[in-house]
Amino acid sequence: MAPLVELDRASKAYEQKVAVRDLNLRIEPGTMFGLLGPNGAGKTSSIRMMVGITVPDSGTVNLFGRPFTRQSLKKVGYLPEERGLYRKMKVMDQLIFMGELRGLTAELAAKRAQAWCERLQIADAAQNKTEELSKGMQQKIQFIVTLLHEPELIIMDEPFSGLDPVNATLLQDTLVDLKKAGRAILFSTHRMDQVEKLCDEICLIHRGEAVLSGGMREVKSRYERNRVIIDFAGDNGFLSHEAIAEFREYPGHVEISLKPHGDAQALLRAAQQHAQIYRFELVEPSLEEIFIRTVGEKVDA
Amino acid sequence: MREAWLIARREYLERIRSKAFRISTVLIPVFFGLIFGAGALSGKLSKGPRHIVVASNDPPLAESERAELMAASEDGKDPSSRPTVDVKAPLTESELAPLNAEVQSKQIDGYLWLNRRPGTTRVEATYTSGGSADFVGKDRMQDAIGHALVREELEKRGASSEEIQALLKDVDLKTQQMKNGKALASDASKRFWGAYLMTFMLYFAVVFYGVNVAHSVVAEKTSRVFEVMLASAKPESLMLGKLLGVATVGLTQMAIWIVFILLLSASSLWMALGLGGLAAYGVTPLRLIFFVLYFILGFFLYSSLSAGLGATVSQESEVQQFSMIIVLPQVIGLVLTAYILGNPGAWPVVLLSLFPPCTPIVMSLRMAAMAVPAWQLALSLVLMVLSIYGMVWVATRIYRVGILMYGKRPTLPEILRWLKYS
Repeated sequence: MAPLVELDRASKAYEQKVAVRDLNLRIEPGTMFGLLGPNGAGKTSSIRMMVGITVPDSGTVNLFGRPFTRQSLKKVGYLPEERGLYRKMKVMDQLIFMGELRGLTAELAAKRAQAWCERLQIADAAQNKTEELSKGMQQKIQFIVTLLHEPELIIMDEPFSGLDPVNATLLQDTLVDLKKAGRAILFSTHRMDQVEKLCDEICLIHRGEAVLSGGMREVKSRYERNRVIIDFAGDNGFLSHEAIAEFREYPGHVEISLKPHGDAQALLRAAQQHAQIYRFELVEPSLEEIFIRTVGEKVDA
Repeated sequence: MREAWLIARREYLERIRSKAFRISTVLIPVFFGLIFGAGALSGKLSKGPRHIVVASNDPPLAESERAELMAASEDGKDPSSRPTVDVKAPLTESELAPLNAEVQSKQIDGYLWLNRRPGTTRVEATYTSGGSADFVGKDRMQDAIGHALVREELEKRGASSEEIQALLKDVDLKTQQMKNGKALASDASKRFWGAYLMTFMLYFAVVFYGVNVAHSVVAEKTSRVFEVMLASAKPESLMLGKLLGVATVGLTQMAIWIVFILLLSASSLWMALGLGGLAAYGVTPLRLIFFVLYFILGFFLYSSLSAGLGATVSQESEVQQFSMIIVLPQVIGLVLTAYILGNPGAWPVVLLSLFPPCTPIVMSLRMAAMAVPAWQLALSLVLMVLSIYGMVWVATRIYRVGILMYGKRPTLPEILRWLKYS
C-alpha cells in the first residue's frame, strides 16, 4: 500500500530564510508519526506543504500515492498551530459550518459534533459563543473541527500545547483510539516525552533538515544503552570497574555512564561479587538525550 | 462553488443576526434624517439680526431702506421675530463712533452705513456687526438696498406707491424639466435634495460596506481562522464567499430602507407634512434600479480592493491607512455635486461618469439632472464589470498570499511580487 504522505526532497524558503531543506518523509497507514524539533526548526513549514497551504520550491509532495490535489484534502484533518475559530459564532453552529465545508450534510455534521462534544466533555458549552469559552475548551473545539469528517490522515501541529495535563491526556487517549481504528496520525511537538509514549515513527528536524528519522525502536537501537542504574547494599568497590566512564553515587543508589562499548554484563558480574544487587537497569537513552546528542554533534560540526 | 456559497451564507446569517446590523439599520436613516432635518431647520430657524440701525447721510434713502428691510423680513415669519430697525440720519462718517460703541456693547446687533456721494446715485454700503453676517442676512440686505435705490429713483420720477409696489414685487419662478419630450413641472430644490440624498446614501453604503470587508478580513486574519479554512476551501472561494455574503447584507439593509421610504411616502403623515410624492424628488423606478445596480457594482469594485488590501495588514488599526483609497474617488464626485447637476452633459462630467471608480456617484447625479443617453448607461455598466473583473484578479492574488503573512506590513514591490505567484 502506498504511503499516505510522501515528501521527496521537499524544500521551502521564505525570502532569505530557508525553512525546509531536502526533506524526505513517509507516513504509512495506521501509524502515529512524530515530527520533532525545537521551535523554528521547520515543523510548521513542512506541515503546511503537506496540506497545500504552501507549495514547495523544489521536490514533491504526494498524498495518498498521488501528487497533491485539493481533492485529496477531503480525506485529511488538519489542526493548525495557530488556533482559529469564529469568535462570535455559537460552538455548535461553528462545528456544523466547518463540517459542511468539508462536505458533510448539516444533519450529519450536527450528529457527529454532538457525539464528539460529549466524548470530550464540552457538550454543556455547545450553545455558547466561542469567545466565552476557556482556551482549553476552544482547543477541544478545534480538535473536533479537525476530526468531524472522519479523515484517514490526521495532521496536527502542536496539538497538546497550552493544555492542562488532564486535557492533554484526554486528547492523547483520543489519538491512540483513532490510531487503533486504523487512521494515520502525524503530529509535531517540541516535547520529546509525548513522542516517546505515543509514536511509532519519528522524524527529527533541526534547522530545516531531517537529522534523524525512522521507527522509534530502530532509532533508539542506533544509540547505545550506556547508562546503568544500580540499587545495592554492601561494598561499592565495583565502581572502579574498567567499563565505567563516570558515576554519581547516592546512599544505596548509583547512576553510571559507561565508556563507549563498555561491557555492562561484565559490570553486573563484578557488582554481584561485591554487593547485594536489588536493581540493575541498562537504561535506553531518552529521545531527549538522543536529540541533544544528535543536534549537539551537528551544531559542533 | 459550494464552499463559496457556504461561506457567503455563514457571513450573511452571522451579520443579519448581529446587533450591529439591527442598530445600523435603524440608526443610519435616523442619522441621515437628523443631518438633513437639521439643515432644513437651521434655514428656517436662523434669525437675522434683531435690532439694527440704518445710518446715512441721506435721510430719505435711510427711511426707504428701513421700509425695505421691514418688508423683506415680513414674509412667512411670525411678527415676534421681526427685527427692530432704527434710522439715524443725517449722519456723517465721522459721527459713526457711537454706533460702533453700541455694536461693541451689544446694544444693537449691527448698523448699516449708507454713504451717498453728493450729487450722484452711487451709494457705498457697509454693514458692521458683532458677529459675521450670515449669507441669508447679507442677501436680504443687498436686495433691500437695491430696492430702496430703485424705489427712490422711481419716486423722484413721479411713480405712485402702488406702481412701485407692483414693480418691486418678487417674481415667483416656476421650474420645469424636459424629459422624453414632455415638460414636467419640477421643484428644483426638492430635486436637488432628492439627488443629493440618494447619491450620499450610495456613497455611504459603498464606503461603509467596503471598509467593513477590510475589517472583517483583518479580524479573521488576527483570529487565525484562515488557516483552518484554507485546509477546506480555496482562497478564491473564501474571498468570493465573503464578498457575496456582505453584498447580500447590504442589499437586505437597502431593501428595508426602500420599503420603509415607500411606505412612509404613502402614509398620511408624509402628506400632512406636505412633502410631496417621491416623483417630486426625482425618484423614479429607473433611478431606483440603477441605484441598486451601482451599489452592487461599486461595492464589488471597492470591496474586492479592500479585501486584497485588508489581507496585507495584521492589525485592524492599520485599515485606516488605506481607507482613503476607497473614499477619495467617490468624494471627488460628491465635491463636484453642484457642477455635475448644473452641467450633466458637459464632456468632463461624461468622462468622469464613465471612469469606473467614480461611476456610481457621478452617474447617479447626472441621472438626477438629465435623461442620460442609454448608451452611456450601458457603457458605464460594461466598464464597471470589466474593472471589477480586473480588480478581483489582482485582489485574489494579494489575498491568497497576504492572509498567511503576519508581522511586518509588505512593501509595494513585495505586493507586486505576490501577483506573480500562481
